Amino acid sequence: MQTKALKCKIAGTGAWGSYFENWSALQALLGGADLPEAKLKSPKPGIIPANERRRAPLPVKLAVESSWQATQDAGVEPNTLTCVFVSGLGDTDLTDYMCKTLASEHKELSPTKFHNSVHNAPAGYWTISTGTMSAANSVAGYEESVSLTILEAMIQCETENVPMLLTFYDAPVADILTPVLPNQETFAFSLVIYPHDADVEGQVLTAMVNQQEDASWPALNADSTYLTEMYAQNPAAKILCVAELLNQPDGQITIPLSSGTSLTLACEG
Amino acid sequence: MKIDIIDYESCSAAGVNLSALRTSLKQHKSGLIKNNLPGSDLDTWIGLVEQINGVDDLGQWQSRNNALAALGYEQGTIRHTVSALISKYGAARIGLVMGSSTSSIDRTEEAYTKLNSENGLTEAFKQPFVHNPHAPALFAAHLSGIKGPSLTINTACSSSAKVFATGARWLETGIVDAVLVGGVDTLCLSVLHGFNSLQLLSPNPCKPFDQHRDGINLGEASGFAVLQRAGENDNGRGITLAGYGESSDAHHMSHPHPDGLGARLSMTQALKRAALSPESVDYINLHGTSSRANDLIEGKLISELFPASVRCSSTKAWMGHTLGAAGITEAIIAMDTLHTNVIPGSKNLETLDEALDFSIKATDEEKVCQHVMTNSFGFGGNNCTLLFSRAE
Repeated sequence: MQTKALKCKIAGTGAWGSYFENWSALQALLGGADLPEAKLKSPKPGIIPANERRRAPLPVKLAVESSWQATQDAGVEPNTLTCVFVSGLGDTDLTDYMCKTLASEHKELSPTKFHNSVHNAPAGYWTISTGTMSAANSVAGYEESVSLTILEAMIQCETENVPMLLTFYDAPVADILTPVLPNQETFAFSLVIYPHDADVEGQVLTAMVNQQEDASWPALNADSTYLTEMYAQNPAAKILCVAELLNQPDGQITIPLSSGTSLTLACEG
Repeated sequence: MKIDIIDYESCSAAGVNLSALRTSLKQHKSGLIKNNLPGSDLDTWIGLVEQINGVDDLGQWQSRNNALAALGYEQGTIRHTVSALISKYGAARIGLVMGSSTSSIDRTEEAYTKLNSENGLTEAFKQPFVHNPHAPALFAAHLSGIKGPSLTINTACSSSAKVFATGARWLETGIVDAVLVGGVDTLCLSVLHGFNSLQLLSPNPCKPFDQHRDGINLGEASGFAVLQRAGENDNGRGITLAGYGESSDAHHMSHPHPDGLGARLSMTQALKRAALSPESVDYINLHGTSSRANDLIEGKLISELFPASVRCSSTKAWMGHTLGAAGITEAIIAMDTLHTNVIPGSKNLETLDEALDFSIKATDEEKVCQHVMTNSFGFGGNNCTLLFSRAE
């Protein structure tokens, strides 16, 4: 069976990072705007009830905030979307908490921290906060987290003919683990996509899987040390090359997908 | 689109491979033992795979989780089947989808007990490919030589059920010609002490759906299956993935929905996708963790959705709840009834929960089944149901 191109329509975008609170602020940074003076620590997504939000870990708040923005941008009821959430690193603060506690004499773990430590905690909080009962996937792909998630979601969108929410997020890594996972930046990005023939406004994204062994991530056009360092170290921030494509359509990029494949993305409109 | 199951293998406390698992199931011989995991003094029973300790030559890939994946991959004909597909289609045309909840956190736990004087990782533990949630698929790609898309699904206890749904969709679009799906999760302090903090562990061997059940036993397992589009192979096992359902509870991070709304949705979706009526299902391998809440909700739902002719059992008393590996372990037990023609009984069931009334028995039943189902429900309210049928 031959590989055919996958197609979808992008109906909404959301973004959150230490120097941008939404997609238009990120677009400004990509376009060369100066970094704001204040560095933000965490979003405060209003859809998580206040008492839950206080205990919610940073990756959960990042993912939920950016997901909410994308659904608002698309003008869609959040609970109508099937979801794929991805983080390349997971919640290393909770990994650090659990491993420190378990290495000590008293191994009692907090039950809340334990259930928050599952990789699908952001998907769980999102579906609970929005009343979403459709499928919510939670995946990991290390350095290829972004390309694998685009592939997975576009395939699900096309084969099941459903609109999808894609959310990419990675938070700064706990000290002890930084020699192996160096990321120190906070980043989240979301897309709402529809089947390409859906009656909604949006750019058409095409994806093609190629057999290619030595694909590498393209350099960003943006002239920003903050963005290029985050692009290099934060697995979720690899979406920035796709963000540039959406920002300057009618081009295409090829990104690594696996050791023997790459993914070519093209954007129209 | 119909998807054929070309090969499958399972590795757990109930059997290091499928052949040993069949023997344990037939003899009703459980692999559960009193907890003896080093560093843990919790009073519970566990499904430990002894042979993992012999896999200690993985170098930069070393972790208990990867060792269990490697052990499982050497069983039966899985390696041979995948290698033959790589020769036929090319390594880049084979996909890989792994499910796990712990990934390799066992190794991170160990690293934290051996930090250097500056509180840093020592050299042996500087393993970037191991200390991240994608570790299971990174390692399985290394083991198998697969070069196509390789994804890890981490949705807690539904992880390695969902791998079948993702694998099927990948095949449907034609981006790959075969997919190796798998699941692997190992016993470690995080899960033992984590489930203990939620007061879910039983000090006794678990008794799913029993009136006197008092909690779960944790176990470890790895499992693999090879999928292809129906009709593109001549060496299959005579089994097809007929349908799947995926849903969310939208209720609570660690408690199931009180009316099982999400679970109902995943089961009805699977039936719809397979175009089957509830009464045509011969056997359901239940999630059946032996927790008070899960079994009550799942059991009630089964009696609402299925007639009494549908035989059900939980097989967790054989190897424990293997978390992210439970989905594929139980998918294999369910689909293997199409080969053995024996529906396993619900081990350790003595007196059915008085609030429940559905077709579950402790004894085996000989039956030539046509359609079998399996449920997997996870934290975050993440549900998956799989339906397998005898190939036409």
